[in-house]
Amino acid sequence: MGKTLILKEIHNHLVSFRFLAVFALLLVIVPVTVLILTNDTIRKQDEYSQRQTDIQNYLAKYAHFNRLYAVLAPSQPPLPLQALVLGLTAVPRLDTFDNDPLPVLFPMIDLTFILAILMSLAALIFSYDAVSGEKEDGTLKLMLANGVPRAKIILAKVVGGTMILWIPFVISLALSMILLLVHPRIAWSASDWGAVGMILIGAFIYIALFFGLGVLVSSRHASSASSILTSLFLWVLFILVVPNLSPYVASLIRPSPSIVEVNRQIDKIEDADRDDMGRKLEKEMREKLAKEFPVLAGVERMNEATIKAEIDRNPGFAKAYAVFRKGREEAWHQANVIQYAKSKVLRDDLNAKDKAQTKLSVALSMISPLASLTYLCADLTSSGSRNLVHFDTIRGPWDNAYDNYMRRKMEDMRKANPTVDIWNTAADVSDMPRFVYKEESLAGRIAAILWPLVVLIVMTFGLFVAAVLSFNRTDVR
Amino acid sequence: MLGTIVRKEISDNLLSYKFFIVILLSAVLIFTSLFVMARDYKGRVADYQVIKPKPGAPIGVLPPNPLSVFAKGLEDSITRSYELDFIGVQTRTGRSTANNVFAFFPAPDFLYIVKVVLSLVALLFGFDRISREREAGTLKLTLANSVSRGTLLFGKWLGNLISLAVPFFLITGIGLAVLHLDPAFHMTGAGFGRLAVILLLSLAYLALFLSLGLFISAVTRRSATSLVVLLLIWSLMVFVLPNTGTLIARQIVRVPSSRALMEKRNQIWTREILMTYSDRGNRGAHLDAMNTEIDQIEQDFRRKTDRLVRLSKTLNRISPAAGFVYTATEIAGTGIGEDSRLKNEIVRYKNRVFETGTLENGKAPAFDYAYRSIGTIMAEGGFFDVAWLLAFNVIFFAAGYAAVIRYDVR
Repeated sequence: MGKTLILKEIHNHLVSFRFLAVFALLLVIVPVTVLILTNDTIRKQDEYSQRQTDIQNYLAKYAHFNRLYAVLAPSQPPLPLQALVLGLTAVPRLDTFDNDPLPVLFPMIDLTFILAILMSLAALIFSYDAVSGEKEDGTLKLMLANGVPRAKIILAKVVGGTMILWIPFVISLALSMILLLVHPRIAWSASDWGAVGMILIGAFIYIALFFGLGVLVSSRHASSASSILTSLFLWVLFILVVPNLSPYVASLIRPSPSIVEVNRQIDKIEDADRDDMGRKLEKEMREKLAKEFPVLAGVERMNEATIKAEIDRNPGFAKAYAVFRKGREEAWHQANVIQYAKSKVLRDDLNAKDKAQTKLSVALSMISPLASLTYLCADLTSSGSRNLVHFDTIRGPWDNAYDNYMRRKMEDMRKANPTVDIWNTAADVSDMPRFVYKEESLAGRIAAILWPLVVLIVMTFGLFVAAVLSFNRTDVR
Repeated sequence: MLGTIVRKEISDNLLSYKFFIVILLSAVLIFTSLFVMARDYKGRVADYQVIKPKPGAPIGVLPPNPLSVFAKGLEDSITRSYELDFIGVQTRTGRSTANNVFAFFPAPDFLYIVKVVLSLVALLFGFDRISREREAGTLKLTLANSVSRGTLLFGKWLGNLISLAVPFFLITGIGLAVLHLDPAFHMTGAGFGRLAVILLLSLAYLALFLSLGLFISAVTRRSATSLVVLLLIWSLMVFVLPNTGTLIARQIVRVPSSRALMEKRNQIWTREILMTYSDRGNRGAHLDAMNTEIDQIEQDFRRKTDRLVRLSKTLNRISPAAGFVYTATEIAGTGIGEDSRLKNEIVRYKNRVFETGTLENGKAPAFDYAYRSIGTIMAEGGFFDVAWLLAFNVIFFAAGYAAVIRYDVR
């Protein structure tokens, strides 16, 4: 009986106008988007190669350690899956004077967008009259006269409906993939295909979730006209409001201090306050030494030439001055340590608060299935927050290797020529360690999306149970 | 007769479940949006007090714009701190945050709510006006009176527009009044004038969706079909088309990434600095060479970006949502045109500071910037977008009229 019910649902949708409209829309939008984004990705890859060549050419002629790091700063190469999901890679940069303002006003469209917005809307358009429509047509009571459990009807509706939406999506994606595979520049690895497979699983659950929501709403309403309104109301809330509001609400509950303000305080602590502290410690040290070495009296007012002359003239002074110089260095080092410890407290506090706020924002946004799906797609394709952390973890060892290399190289330069300006002399850096970006393994990425996936599954199940419970109480006459 | 139809439409709306749910949604959204965006604005004002340049410092920073509460647009870019040093302009973002969730989802400002949610609301007001009345059988009864179909359509349009506009203005008005009570939020009379223009534009934008709703309602037999068609058109107009235009424009105009530009700039800079060490007598010449080359690549980038922006704006105009967003953000002073003009002014300021040699002596002239007037904005493309918006209104209404006079009311 279950199979009959599912087949009936599929057949019902197949012959409907809405199926035709959604299918046609997907057949156009998905391939067009994927093709355009693929073209974009290839161009980005070309540009990336060109940039690397430029850097190499630069290094061959002009490498010198002053600001070499700024030229070398590792950057993320474009990944093949950005042809499907843009994630955070599309976020406009504000740290450069010249930037492209367009994506701020109209964020670029990608597969996540098609799935998250269009497919959820389609799922509600398909399901808003699942119960109420059949009730209006009078077929609901006929169906129940056959001794079918109500839970089975709801299950059939959700499964049948989800299939009928998911399959056109898969077909249009497959069509894009066929177009992609014949492209000579596209080479996807097994883990790329694995990631796409996981996205399709996520898409199925996401569509089922909205189908469940539509069926639930439909069974709570007597007429399909009011059921579509409630469905749209919930769609607007879940899709357009909750994710966008969540970071703002999180910043209300878990405020983090303004970066601008914190930076100002840190600047003060590490600059003016550091100087005050240094002077204070130096004075204390001087007073202490003055008792031990009376010859040092008034040394702070002496200029360099006088000191030099005094050192040459008076060996007692020379000895005392050596102690004094060491003490002064120690005092300023102490001042730096003390002030840095103070600013570290501020930095750590900012980081901890930012982290707490981000965590809360993510949790709040996941009230909306759209956010869960967005994180899932972004993390699977290495275009989300997870990849930023991953990038930093592989950048760290390279930074260390670079530091060691620089130190070694400078040592060599100094050995060859003791008076050389090690910072501003051209250096041969052809044997420098190169930064190589390696994408996180698929297993790691899948582990990262478990939470959003679990949330989606639990929500889908919850909505299904709610729909069954609600339908059990529905008067089908 | 027109008055009767208008009154009937309004009372129909007032008694419906739809009206209740839609108004509730709009009110909650608009109030929440104004609250969170005003809070965000106040945070930026506090930051501005910290980064405000001291007299004589070669820095250009604009204070946060109160209208960004309504249309955030490129505000984050416009109110960055532009700091001059010997290699040119360095930018420092004001309110950057480590919270990535902000980057994933756009700011829920007033403009976003009008563009996305209220346009949907306007469609819901129009989608079943003709088809449902036919289903209920009241359409033929109405037309049995001596009323022309044109009057009927106009009456329905007007009645629904009033049902939509009055709560819209009322809710926004209340929100504004509450905002105005907050002493930290200060908007000048001119600011209110600009806001009024944005509100009128919003109304024209919403009227267009209402006309579209009436039109589709008059070409479909069943209201359910009309809703499905409308939701598809709506998602295309609001989400897909404005974004596809940009994607297509990118295929035609090639603009290097800002990362590539930054790297190039770094290379030129460090190269010339290295050369000054081996050629100490000519430091000035090397600095000049560096500035000229950096200026060139930046100008080239801006020229390409301008072309990209122009082309994608033109392509995006297929959707009225794009024109609406462009004009509304320009009027608020957070649009692409304002951003581009500000960048040009910053470059001019940099040249002036370099020419007068006041970069490092603490006597740099202050950076002065005045937002464009509404007149200038209108002359620089605003009129076209407004006319385009009105044209959409006329086209959809005319199409609706053509459909209604051919409609079989039985």
